[in-house]
Amino acid sequence: MLHCDPAEPEGDVSGSPVDSVRVRGTSSPFTFTPRRIQILGDHELFEDGDIHRHLYLQDLFATVTEDSPTPKVSEFRCHIAGCSLMFSSLDGYEQHYSTLHQHVCSTCRRCFPSRHLLDIHILEWHDSFFQVMAEKQSMYQCLVEGCPSKFSSSNERKDHLIRTHSYPPDFRFDRPRKNKRPKRRKGVVHTDLMDTSEEGAADSGTVLDSWATTHHTHHCEQRQSHPADTGTPTQYSRRVPSSVCFGQGSVRGFRGRREKK
Amino acid sequence: MWRLRTVGHKARGPGIRSEEFKLKRREREKVLRQARRDRHLVSKRLLLHDYDEEEGDEEHTRASVKPASSEQVVEIMCKLQTGGEDKATALRSLRNVLRSPEVHVAFIRLENSVPVLVGLLSGSDAQCRVEAAKCLHQLSHSPCPNVGLACLPATPYLLTYLSGQRGKFTELCLYTLGNLCAESEPVRERLQAQGIVMALVSCIQNHGGSLAVLEAVAFTLSQLLQAREGASKVAPLVLTLGLIPHLVAGLTPDPEFGIGAAIECAWCLHYLASCEVDKSELISQGVVSRCSSLLITLEETVAQGDLQEGLELLIWPLVRCLGNLLASSACENTEECVRDTRVLSALCGFSHRVLQMHPALTKETLWVVNNLTADSPAWCSALLSFGLLPGLLQLLPLSLGINCMVLRIVGNVAHKGSVFSLMLTQGGLLPPLCATLKMADPEVVTLSLEVLYLLVTSSQQAGEEFVKQNGQSVLEMIQYSSDEALRQRAAAIVDLLPQAAADER
Ligand SMILES: [Zn+2]
Ligand SMILES: [Zn+2]
Ligand SMILES: [Zn+2]
Repeated sequence: MLHCDPAEPEGDVSGSPVDSVRVRGTSSPFTFTPRRIQILGDHELFEDGDIHRHLYLQDLFATVTEDSPTPKVSEFRCHIAGCSLMFSSLDGYEQHYSTLHQHVCSTCRRCFPSRHLLDIHILEWHDSFFQVMAEKQSMYQCLVEGCPSKFSSSNERKDHLIRTHSYPPDFRFDRPRKNKRPKRRKGVVHTDLMDTSEEGAADSGTVLDSWATTHHTHHCEQRQSHPADTGTPTQYSRRVPSSVCFGQGSVRGFRGRREKK
Repeated sequence: MWRLRTVGHKARGPGIRSEEFKLKRREREKVLRQARRDRHLVSKRLLLHDYDEEEGDEEHTRASVKPASSEQVVEIMCKLQTGGEDKATALRSLRNVLRSPEVHVAFIRLENSVPVLVGLLSGSDAQCRVEAAKCLHQLSHSPCPNVGLACLPATPYLLTYLSGQRGKFTELCLYTLGNLCAESEPVRERLQAQGIVMALVSCIQNHGGSLAVLEAVAFTLSQLLQAREGASKVAPLVLTLGLIPHLVAGLTPDPEFGIGAAIECAWCLHYLASCEVDKSELISQGVVSRCSSLLITLEETVAQGDLQEGLELLIWPLVRCLGNLLASSACENTEECVRDTRVLSALCGFSHRVLQMHPALTKETLWVVNNLTADSPAWCSALLSFGLLPGLLQLLPLSLGINCMVLRIVGNVAHKGSVFSLMLTQGGLLPPLCATLKMADPEVVTLSLEVLYLLVTSSQQAGEEFVKQNGQSVLEMIQYSSDEALRQRAAAIVDLLPQAAADER
């Protein structure tokens, strides 16, 4: 029985109170609660109907309204940051996705938006010598293509990504690996590529949005421009580095590699 | 039975239809949309019908209208003031001249013109009274606000004549008053001070059976109600002065008269239901049940053939009225408020039937379905057991906010627990949901994730089915989104999904 703010009819999903039943311990990101919506007379939802009535009152009523907006299938968008391409059909979307972003691990069927991330994933997750090697030398590669740094644990890599490449602390590349193998527990805590889910969900990634539209034009030139000396180490910028690219910008990279194979 | 008989068809002569008409309509629409945004959406109605008929061929009359000049006005006014001449004839020629809006300003600037006209309106000669009222009606339709203001001295007489017995004359006065109401707030304030709402009540009582008068009363009332101050100043009066039963009774299409009166009554009820007043009076007077039963009847009619001309003009306000009353605090329980469950099928039926012509109406009918299903497991299970889910799922890909409303409805159902979630899954919700997850509109994606969350937390099978449809890859992709709220939701759902077989080894 919620009264709806006339300015925000039904688009206030994120603003509605969190359903308390569903909150378990930490705050849940889910906010949907069924509610009846009241719509005041001057709300924009009522515009078309009001106009229709007034055309009738002014004797301009017509049965055939060839001008009226016909409902179309909604547009689709590639959600991957830095790409954000729009498609008028689901087919167009699927084609784009499977050619540009679908890098599937054949072992566990997980998807990665770039070949580079898939390679790292296969190495760290499915290569049986990886753990053994990792205990002797730095084996965790930087996730940023072109960055030569390697680390002895995924946590170290995470720090590097945040400090050097300005990754947002909560940017979550994959879910944490469910630790089913007991021997793993002795060594480093194994997290998948980058799991930072325990921290920093508080501030939102507004700068990320601007990154999505700006970064891919620069990524190639800036690839090598960043050993750990740039930027103050403690300041965690929300900006994702320009050298990371999952979207269109990395097409060249993918193709080059594929052709070599 | 469902015929639309409009009051006057000024712009709709056979020759005018077509290109010229379309162009005019399109331009008008643009103006109206802007006016609505400026919160000054008003329309005037020109009553031509009766007195053109009495003069014979309408086409001929229209063709014979030459652009009138202000000299003609001066000439006629001289005749009227000097007296002696046949005043009724002079008034008739004055009205003919006043058909050209260009001379309206010249008329009101002419010294003594309005007092003379008002004098004849209030005089003892019945024929002159009618002719003077027709002139005033013509003036009330003027696009120039000053003209309407100049007519104000006539309003006490127009209001007095509402209690008269001649239906046609009463209609003329009503439409003239209705047009003047559209002018400005001071005009409406003045009319209210003169007791217009009470005058409308007694007018309906005097003309009990006349649907034409009811249509005119409701038109005038709707002008008052939809104005900016209508909610605070007019609505409380309407609720207490006993107009509601008349408006409810008016929601009965008549085989002879058509749906004109019902349209006006329904719009009044919509304006009342969509403003911030106590709705309990409306509910106790049976507005909800009358709206529902009329919607059910209308849907049955529409189902037999095409959407007949103008029927949406009636469906639209009924749908709105029902939607807002269901959302009001006066309606504690939607199951008790609406007894006839067929209204749910009717609403879903309309959502498809009006889709091509009036997609905005589709969205509004879905909004009412949302209000029915939000707090009521009974309406949710009715939705499933009446087989309405497949139809709703067909609307899920559609833009213009339609998909959001459908997602809210299925969210309402899923929220009711595991049995409901299972039925949604078995009813085929997941494939279209995989598509809405890929849509561009962040609100659609958010709602899709919310619905998916409800499904997988309450039904094991939903999670398995989603994985089977390779839905996981969509969620993984959303985790690379630049929108943090989307990422968090997607990640949380991924954690809840049953692990793929390969992962378990
Ligand atoms: Zn893309
Ligand atoms: Zn894998
Ligand atoms: Zn690096």
